[in-house]
Amino acid sequence: MKKLLLIPMLAFVLPAMAEAEEKPISTGDLQNYVAYAAIMGMLLLFIIALLVVLRALKVMTKVMLRQQQGYTHAEIAAELNPEQPKKVKNELWLKALSLKPMSQEKSLLIEHDYDGIQELDNPTPAWFMWLFYGTIGFGLAYLAVYHVFGVGQLQDAEYVTEVAQADSAKKVYLARAGEQVDENTVKLVADAGVIDAGKGIFTQHCAACHGAEGQGVVGPNLTDVYWLHGGNINDVFKTIKYGVAAKGMPTWEKQLSPKQISDVSNYILSLKGTNPPNPKAPQGDELKDDTSAGRTASN
Amino acid sequence: MQPENFYYDNKIVRNFGIATIVWGIIGMTVGLLVAIQMYAPGANLHNQFTTFGRIRPLHTNAVIFAFVGNAIFMGVYYSLQRLLKARMFSDALSKIHFWGWQLIIVSAVITLPLGLTTSHEYAELEWPIDIAITIIWVVFGINMFGTIFKRRERHLYVAIWFYIATFVTIAVLHIVNSVELPVGAFKSYMVYAGVQDALVQWWYGHNAVAFFLTTPYLGMMYYFLPKMANRPVYSYKLSILHFWALIFIYIWAGPHHLLYTSLPGWAQSLGVAFSIMLIAPSWGGMINGLLTLRGAWDKVRDDVNLKFMVVALTAYGMATFEGPMLSLKQINGIAHFSDWIVAHVHVGALGWNGFLTFAILYWIIPRIYKTELFSKKLASFHFWAGTLGIIFYAVPMYWAGFTQSLMLKEFNPDGMLKYPNFLESTLQILPMHMMRSVGGAIYLLGVIVMGYNLYRTMRQGSLVANEGAQAMPLEPAHTLAKESTFHRTLERRPIQLMVLALITILVGSVIELMPTMTISSNVPTIASVKPYTPLELQGRDIYIREGCSNCHSQTIRPFRSETERYGEYSKAGEFVYDHPFLWGSKRTGPDLARIGGKYGNAWHYNHMMDPRLMSPGSIMPEYSWLLTQKLDTTTTIAKINGMRKLGVPYAAGYENIANQDLDKQAKEIAANLYADKIEVKSDKEIVAIIAYLQRLGTDIKANKTATK
Repeated sequence: MKKLLLIPMLAFVLPAMAEAEEKPISTGDLQNYVAYAAIMGMLLLFIIALLVVLRALKVMTKVMLRQQQGYTHAEIAAELNPEQPKKVKNELWLKALSLKPMSQEKSLLIEHDYDGIQELDNPTPAWFMWLFYGTIGFGLAYLAVYHVFGVGQLQDAEYVTEVAQADSAKKVYLARAGEQVDENTVKLVADAGVIDAGKGIFTQHCAACHGAEGQGVVGPNLTDVYWLHGGNINDVFKTIKYGVAAKGMPTWEKQLSPKQISDVSNYILSLKGTNPPNPKAPQGDELKDDTSAGRTASN
Repeated sequence: MQPENFYYDNKIVRNFGIATIVWGIIGMTVGLLVAIQMYAPGANLHNQFTTFGRIRPLHTNAVIFAFVGNAIFMGVYYSLQRLLKARMFSDALSKIHFWGWQLIIVSAVITLPLGLTTSHEYAELEWPIDIAITIIWVVFGINMFGTIFKRRERHLYVAIWFYIATFVTIAVLHIVNSVELPVGAFKSYMVYAGVQDALVQWWYGHNAVAFFLTTPYLGMMYYFLPKMANRPVYSYKLSILHFWALIFIYIWAGPHHLLYTSLPGWAQSLGVAFSIMLIAPSWGGMINGLLTLRGAWDKVRDDVNLKFMVVALTAYGMATFEGPMLSLKQINGIAHFSDWIVAHVHVGALGWNGFLTFAILYWIIPRIYKTELFSKKLASFHFWAGTLGIIFYAVPMYWAGFTQSLMLKEFNPDGMLKYPNFLESTLQILPMHMMRSVGGAIYLLGVIVMGYNLYRTMRQGSLVANEGAQAMPLEPAHTLAKESTFHRTLERRPIQLMVLALITILVGSVIELMPTMTISSNVPTIASVKPYTPLELQGRDIYIREGCSNCHSQTIRPFRSETERYGEYSKAGEFVYDHPFLWGSKRTGPDLARIGGKYGNAWHYNHMMDPRLMSPGSIMPEYSWLLTQKLDTTTTIAKINGMRKLGVPYAAGYENIANQDLDKQAKEIAANLYADKIEVKSDKEIVAIIAYLQRLGTDIKANKTATK
């Protein structure tokens, strides 16, 4: 039963999660969440351990009282659970829930019974009625905010705001990070770091269609000198970025950052002439040697 | 006046009881199998008839209509007779009801794995079975009202109000949501399309929860809980208030299943507002139940029935608080399409429906067999297994839901999605899915133990098929004193009560459904959206047959994280030819609303043959039979004709040349595949499904590039 409490607890965390949605969580935040969970878990474990210790102490007391002091069962029970004066709290509790004391129950019984089931003529609890009125008030206010006064944004407007905010944040970031590169400004480089990064991206996203070594499977061979959509760095960048829907090449603009597209383009061009096993037959036009020219030029 | 002697029919109660247990075990076993398929795609047994998309509906139908359905009839047939002091109206109708219902379930067990489905969630059964359901439901209604008319108890107890509301509302829901045009023996198209179809479906789906999983169970709670605890019901006034408030408000809340879709904003907001207002009426049932236990809490400690009841009421309270919270759009934006909803549903289903059913079974069976329960220990074991099972089920699913949703929404500072590949989020939550199936297995184990326990109980007793009872006949109506309140008077008049309940539920239904159906501005049209080609239409029917919409949605919500991932958000006008709509309600895989043109035909071919070839680690089952099965083109004419009747603008006489167009398009796709070294005959099903997938979302794409 104790564990069941976890479920309503989760329900209370929800509004907090809703706020978290506004700004995407970073790995740091994620670690924080994990840490919170770990702390909660530890605390819970601690409580359980305490309960176990308490129980053990009780049992030990009983054993000692019986064996060393010669108490009887009844005496032990009296010792461990002394009679307590009637709690005042109970009344407050009853009042808060607007419950009538059990002693008055007889007077509330409705005479009629159904197959032995009787009903009490209790009023609907006041707190319940306030909850009900409160939610009705919320409902009316909700409709008013969105549809009468137009204060709240409906989904289309909400979307425009979200995108605008994200765009300006992105511009600021990119300007600072200097990562803006497109099909016109991309450069061919032979830097090992770039080629390595490009290889990682290739293995993850491209190998399924172009083969692990670029030999071509569903997609064309990328290691030969034949190109369907142009073989210099600008063309390759463009093909990856926008895709070629008719040929089944997906658009990668949404999945890879400009820097990543540039890295993988460089990696692909570094594959030229590697002659992997089982190459796919050449497709497209032969590109006469200007790739290496391009490389020299950029170096 | 002399008291009259009569007999309660216990045999029909026993029969429904046994059916509840048997179908419960079957339905939950199928549930366990589909849960395992969520991390081990090979658990589809490499067989189309046991693949997720086809047997997930089997699981939901079996637990809702077979397990819960039979339990409702068991509880109603037991309590109704006693509350009215009368035997059921007609033994023959009882029998027809029982066997008819079982036959419907058996037909579901046969047709759903065959892929015969309307794709409407919780209403998947095809039109001949829909008709059978209607007939049997009417039989149940006649039997119930017949009994009410020959009652020996003037006033109807609160349980019966709930039974009556259940009967009329389910009838309305079922009929409106099943208006479909047959185009074959087991194939039909929904009359409504797109947004309208979505609204009808979720008006139905939400209120199936309300009036099949909630109101009859509240009715049974009102009979069995006071009986078990031997205590008076806490408040008659609360009963009246929460009954009418519940049935009035519940019916409005359906649109909260469609937040952030292309459903008109006013309908969405109504759904949200009424969902929040639903908290108190729902809780009214819980507190009336829990406060009935006042002064009997010491009994809860030793009485396993009451333990089941208390957990059931608590689970009900939690689920009915969580539901309104989930309908707030900020929370819905995270929770919808995720495992969170699966957790939410199962707290209600396993906790509320399951536990209440078990309590009633443990209470009824020994009584009608005139014996004691075979083993209290086993029942107690069942209680703990069930409770643990729910926790082990729900907690990992909540966790999985948060994790996946937050991952899918996460951006890098450079404005790129942090996890652009949907699959990454799927792989992240696999451990949670494994734990979930463990929780489910524990719960199922408890149910099997219950089955054994009750079997032994029946063996040691003997059924009192006709239980003797005695009651005074009703005094003539004209001798009755005037009642003190309007409601007391209403309780004497079952027909007025039914009509009033019907009006109450029709208000919200009419206000929400009618404008969406009739006012064209609610569904703005888009000129570039054209009807499906015959091949695409056939492909779409394969998509429906395979139950793709159980895992893939087809509606992109207006969130940046979704438009970046899937493309422009979905517009109402894109779905005007979608009979039925296929938006889905869960994203186990990515959204497919704009999958068209995203990958090549060869990619789809390979992906269907073995998804792991193209997406290593994918949990999608393989659909290799699509590669070998021949597309049935004999149905094309009927389908084109049917669609035209529903308002899809195919030219007159087009049905006669439709198959030529179909062949032509199929040959083009086959030729395109051949260029990628894939040899496939153009008459295979795979070609049709590729055609459909490549069409999805492209109408508006074309439009967009034109304006750019």
